[in-house]
Amino acid sequence: MKSLSEYWELVELLTTSLATAAAVAVGGSQVGTFVLTRKEGLAALALPQVVAVGVAVALREGWPPIWPAIVAAGAAVLALGWSKQRGANHWVLPSLYVAGLSVSFLVIANAGAHVEEMQQRFTGIDVAVDVQTAMVVVPVVLGAGLLTSLLWRRWVAIAQAPAMAELAGLKPARWDIAFLCLLTTVLLFGTAALGAVMVLAMLFLPAATALPWAKRMPGALWIGGVLGLLFLAAGFVISVEMEWPLSHSVSGTGVAAMGISYIAYQVRQLTLRKSPV
Amino acid sequence: MSVVEAKNAVFGYQGRAIVRVECLQVHAGQCLGVFGPNGSGKTTLVRGLSGLIPPMAGSVQRSGTLRMGYVQQHRSMDLQWPMTALDAASIAVSSRRPFGWMSSHARRGIVEAMVTLEVSDLSERHFASLSGGQQQRVLLAGALAAQPELLILDEPTEGLDVRSRRILLRALSEAEKNGLATIMISHAIDDLASLSDEVVWFHEGEHEGEPSRVEVMAVDSLVERVLKLRQTA
Repeated sequence: MKSLSEYWELVELLTTSLATAAAVAVGGSQVGTFVLTRKEGLAALALPQVVAVGVAVALREGWPPIWPAIVAAGAAVLALGWSKQRGANHWVLPSLYVAGLSVSFLVIANAGAHVEEMQQRFTGIDVAVDVQTAMVVVPVVLGAGLLTSLLWRRWVAIAQAPAMAELAGLKPARWDIAFLCLLTTVLLFGTAALGAVMVLAMLFLPAATALPWAKRMPGALWIGGVLGLLFLAAGFVISVEMEWPLSHSVSGTGVAAMGISYIAYQVRQLTLRKSPV
Repeated sequence: MSVVEAKNAVFGYQGRAIVRVECLQVHAGQCLGVFGPNGSGKTTLVRGLSGLIPPMAGSVQRSGTLRMGYVQQHRSMDLQWPMTALDAASIAVSSRRPFGWMSSHARRGIVEAMVTLEVSDLSERHFASLSGGQQQRVLLAGALAAQPELLILDEPTEGLDVRSRRILLRALSEAEKNGLATIMISHAIDDLASLSDEVVWFHEGEHEGEPSRVEVMAVDSLVERVLKLRQTA
């Protein structure tokens, strides 16, 4: 077990990476709460794969990856919006996932260095965040999370009562696209800085752990944010002690917490059912 | 005064006509019942009258800036969302507010409507834990709190207990007395008879692919026609 002073030294060394991860934990968990309630999990999995195609093209051509990644993300959002409107996302989403997974590696096939870089971007292993990247990613991801949580009643209305919302003058299709844009922003910036594993873990796991216990949406959002930070802290300790990659340690912590939360919730429900009225 | 008037209107989707209306009016303070078998075009007609789909032919006129509300079946709500009864009742009002943000005044209005529907004591309860009848009353309270001029109800009494049904119909009847126009899709003839002034009856198209035709009749004629159909069946 490392001493507190050793931990302090590590935190100082990894300040930008940890600050960025904390922003992804808070922002990602806010968006993730609605990813789960809106049942958009497959979209969240497919989007990074499509973005990877843009990154692969950039690597192959020697361009900076951000713009091709944004173009690929924009195309994916339009495709998802289109498919949802036509009720075709049950086949478009898995197709996009598989296409992104395959094409991104075909684009850089036989280029060993690029393949390794792509794998790093996905897994988040050996990724260090520089100050300039953190200065962009932290406010963008926090902003996307804040905006998503401030609009919680809108997401409820669009998902629960689309006809009522439409009669009130809202355009559900446009709000669906707006949500996909917020999700894409978190995925794009988070993956660019920390890799896909960390971002997906922060999108799904804090929300999945919090949702069974929450009575209201604001409560679920608060608990999700706090859990995201706790998973990061616990994952950091595990990664230091076991010399495991941070992203995977955080994911492992989140999965364990989610499992415990689910079992505890089921036990509680059983106890409530059995207890006399 | 009619709030909605359709003349020689045809409604449908993607170039396919589903329902045809010669003349239909919805008046303030009255209820138009919509009765018909599944697939006859009830939802298409209501979407056309409310403006959610444009007419393929003919015209639909709505008075000024008509405030419309919609009460869906409680069964169509996704119970996985963490929300209280008050949150569920707030959906209609929050849909009309910038970014969905609610003021304390708006919240008070919703609670008042919940008192009328006798669900105010459930406001902090988890929506998913309520009975179907309680959920339906919560949704109606929310819709009424948004102060619509025209309220569309999609089978609001389907599967409800006697008490919930009575409270719901009484609240709708009172709202009508205050000038609310309603369009109620229902298979429950009793409910249509107690609330509606006129009822829409659907005649199937004569040939395959032809849209169904709408006939507007007095509610007494609906009862007679249904009884006759049951006798011949």
